[in-house]
Formats: sequence, C-alpha cells, structure tokens
Amino acid sequence: MSVQSNVEVHTEWGIVSARQAGRNLAKELGFSSVDQARITTAISELARNIYLYAEKGEIIIESVERMQSTGRKKGIKITAKDEGPGIKNIRQVMEDGFTTSGGLGAGLPGVKRLMDEFDIDSIAGEGTEITTIKWNS
Amino acid sequence: MDLDIRTEEKNGQDILYVGGEVDAYTAPQLRESLKPLTEKDIPNVIVDLADVDYIDSTGLGIFIGALKSVNANEGSLKLIGLNARVKRLFSITGLDEVMDISEEREEAK
Amino acid sequence: MADSFSLMQEQYTKILKKYLEEKNETGLYHAQQFSKKVLENQISPEEVVSLHLDALEKYFPDLPQGVFDSFEFLLEVMMGYGMAYREHQSLRDKQKELETEINVAASMQQTFLPKEIPSVDALDVGVISVPASKMSGDYYHFIKDDNDCIGVAIADIIGKGVPAALCMSMIKYAMDSLPEQRLQPGALLDNLNRVVEQNVASNMFITMMYGSYDPRVHHFYYSGAGHEPGFYYHYDTDTFEELYAKGLVLGIKRDTTFREYHKKVEPGDFIVLLSDGVTECRTDDGFIEREELTRLIRKYKHLPAQEIVDNVFYQLEKLQGFQLRDDFSLIILRRKV
Repeated sequence: MSVQSNVEVHTEWGIVSARQAGRNLAKELGFSSVDQARITTAISELARNIYLYAEKGEIIIESVERMQSTGRKKGIKITAKDEGPGIKNIRQVMEDGFTTSGGLGAGLPGVKRLMDEFDIDSIAGEGTEITTIKWNS
Repeated sequence: MDLDIRTEEKNGQDILYVGGEVDAYTAPQLRESLKPLTEKDIPNVIVDLADVDYIDSTGLGIFIGALKSVNANEGSLKLIGLNARVKRLFSITGLDEVMDISEEREEAK
Repeated sequence: MADSFSLMQEQYTKILKKYLEEKNETGLYHAQQFSKKVLENQISPEEVVSLHLDALEKYFPDLPQGVFDSFEFLLEVMMGYGMAYREHQSLRDKQKELETEINVAASMQQTFLPKEIPSVDALDVGVISVPASKMSGDYYHFIKDDNDCIGVAIADIIGKGVPAALCMSMIKYAMDSLPEQRLQPGALLDNLNRVVEQNVASNMFITMMYGSYDPRVHHFYYSGAGHEPGFYYHYDTDTFEELYAKGLVLGIKRDTTFREYHKKVEPGDFIVLLSDGVTECRTDDGFIEREELTRLIRKYKHLPAQEIVDNVFYQLEKLQGFQLRDDFSLIILRRKV
C-alpha cells in the first residue's frame, strides 16, 4: 500500500519536485498546514545539501505506519541519499551553531527538530544517507 | 579590535611590526604571525613594538613562547621600540634579563 | 503540548473575533498579552500564522480563497524564523548547561583558597579577591607555622577564566607539597619554579610574591617572581614605598634563583600585596596611576585592614563602571599599634 516517490536531485528544479512530492503525500495523509510546511522545509534542507555538496543524490518519500496503543499511526518518511564526499564529523554537524557556518551538513539539527525521528549514516568519500520521519498526530 | 601586523625580511632578519593593544583577544593574532618566524632554522626575529601602547599578561605569554621557540632553534629574538608602560611590564616580570629588549628602534642606528 | 496548543488556539480565535467586532485598543492590548503567552508556551512563528489561518477558516469561511492561500504562503515564509527560533531555544538550554558546569567549577575553585585567615595577636589582616568573571586567575594563600609565623602568597596566573583556573590547581597542590621551606620565601619560589617549568605550556607563566612575617621580631621576609609590586606603608612618616622583589616569573627557566628581601616592621606599618588587576584598573581616561591607589588606601587607613581592602575595591570597581576587566586581589597586613 505504501506509496513511494523517488526524486533525483541535480538542479534546483529537483528540490522543487521533491518538495511537491512531499507536500502531495503529506496532504493525502492528512497533515495540518503547519506540518506540511515543516515537512517540505525539511525536504528542502536535505535536498539543498545534496544539490550544493554532492554530485548525485535522491530524495525518497514514502508513507509509513506504526501500531500504537491508541491505534494505527501514519507518517511520512523521507530518505536523502547521496554519493557525495560524506561527513567526517557527524557529531559536529549535529551541533547547533554549526548551521550558520554553511557547508555540508549545515541545517541538519534544524531538520531533526522539525521532524520526529532522525537517523544519519555517513562514510567519508562514499556518501551520506539521512532518514527522517514525521508522524501525524 | 584587531592588531596591525606587518612583516618584512631584511638582511636575513624577519622584522615584525605590531600596532595596537596586545591582550587576551588579540594575542592569538600575534601568535599566528610570530610563531612561524621563530620556528625557522636558526631564526633571527625582531619585533617592533613602537606602535603598541599596551600588553597584558596573555600578550606577554606570546613573547615568552616565542623566546622558548627561538632558543630551541638556536636563534635570536629581539624586541625594540618599547614604550615606558610596556618596558615596565618586561622589567617587573624579570623578562628584561632573559630577553633582548630595547627602547630604541632599529632605524635609529 | 498538544493540549496547551489547542487551548491557545481557542483563546486566539476568541480574542481575534472580539477584536474584529469591536475594533478597539482593548482588543489590541489582549493581542499583546497573547504574544507573551505565545513565547511562554514556546510556540514558534509559523504556528502563530497557523493559529491565525485556523481562526479565519472557522469564523470567516466565506473570505476569498486568495486570502487563505496568502496565509499558506506566509506560513512557508515563516519557516526560516521557526527554525531559527528552535535553534535559539536549544542554544539557550545548552548555555544554561554550560553555566551550571562553570558554577560547579567556580565553587570548586573556591576550595583552593584559604577558608579563613590565620589570626595572630600582632597582625591585622584584610583580604579581597574578586574574579573578573566566574573563574579566577588570582591565587592567594596563608599559612601559620608553630612559631606563629605567617606565610602569605599572592599569585597571578597568566590570562584569566577557565585556563588560568586549571593552572591554579597545580600551584595549590605544588605549594601544599613543599612544606619544609614554607617560611623561606626564596627557597619556596626556587622549588615552585621547578614544578611550574615542568608542567606548563610554553606561553604560560605565573607571577608570585611570597612573604613571611615573624611576629616575634616583627620582620617581614619576601621574594618575588615577576609579580606586580605592592606597597609598604611607614606609619611614622605617613609615606608609601614601593614593595618590589625583583625576580623572573615562574615557569621560564628551570635554574632560576630568587633573592630574599626583608623589612623591619614598626607598629602601625603595613604591607600591601596586590594583583595587576588592581593597578591595571581602566577608566575612560586610561589606566589609574599607582598614586591613585595609595591615595585611596590612605583615605581608609584608619579603618581595620579588611575594611580598607573592601572600600578600595568598591571605589575602584565604581571607577570602572562596576565592570572588572581583570581579576582583582588585594591583601593588607598591618602590625597593630
């Protein structure tokens, strides 16, 4: 049942396409307009990182589900994958204040705060994979 | 406030002209310029302090570090053009006896 | 959080509706009060836009679609502020954490300083030591031996703040481990210099003045390691003299030796020891002169030693607009009349 869109990010158009795909799915899943803006902002940040610092990469957008005591919960999962230079010091980019310095990984703490779940894997010289989920409350 | 720093190489000597106030905030800037000069093979460094009105203890530490580095590399370090306040600091701390210090500037010779 | 948000939503809708009906200053006052609540509840900018949009949709569903769309647009524009706001929140929390850590370190540093000043019948002693920020690079130390001799040390560690404070712990332990020379200032500095030289970075150093007062004969013996000169006050002539002991700062040369000086202390005479934070007080007109300092001390000299140092500190702090640029330490030892 899971809908999945993959968007290649080479250009700024790719960023817009990724936002569009994210917004469509977020709307479909019933996210409020504030949450839609948060999700698309997160997608923008992740896609810009790919566009500016990695040659090749994609954004994957899909719906996810989770069973909870209160019932079934729906969410949107965004995966940003690239084959860029990788991030040497992940702990440093996840620190606040680094954001303003620009560079690869800038803005990641902001993305983490916009979303509910956040996971990052990066190997220097090979690339980076970031997975983040927002649950619909 | 930044320091005004200029280097010049003359007759095998490195002359560092410093202007401003050397304190905890500007000391790193001085260290960056001075350190590489003192780490050369047999360094010969002159620091012109004629335009320095004030040095605090952190600033003094930079010169002590430079002295140790120059000694380790068997070279020499000379401070010139010290004003009265700066001279007093070197004198009170006893550094005037382990460092080559002069109120005169090289040009005056 | 969700609950407080829906409460806010309800309240916003109510005050907006009331304002649109009555359009008076009271309504705008409510809006201002509401904005305080927004901050209290940590509601970010884009959420405020969303509150507005929801309220419009609920009460004025007949507005042109363009109005709603424009608020959707504004919502997107506010996202940047929203992210900055959250980062600010998180940095503020981190700052609080760091502050707590520094406070713990600062109170630990206080334990390096003597808890009480030893008392001898012959001497009236006053001490004040105030850091420019939370951690201090000034150190002082008092000790009394079996013969009632008082040892006093004042030291200034290069720089200030945390690095100086870390270095201070070394001085404290080094001094504690040199008990046998305790009351011979020159020998004590010789030994201390060797410890410091081996343990500090090349651009670190420490200045110190160490003195020992023998109340049986009223002699003051002292040695200095590049420390800011103090003063000696002669009671009979009402004059100040510079109290200086020439010597190289600690940590430069391993085989440095320190000369011992001495003074015969007459009744009413006093010794002033200080850190360079006292003489390097800076006002808008430049540095204060040492004469300014002796003038202040003279002004309060009829008071007990502790009150002299307290008053001098207050006056110099005031001169600098109650902002210390450097750590400030002042010690007075007076032979009672």
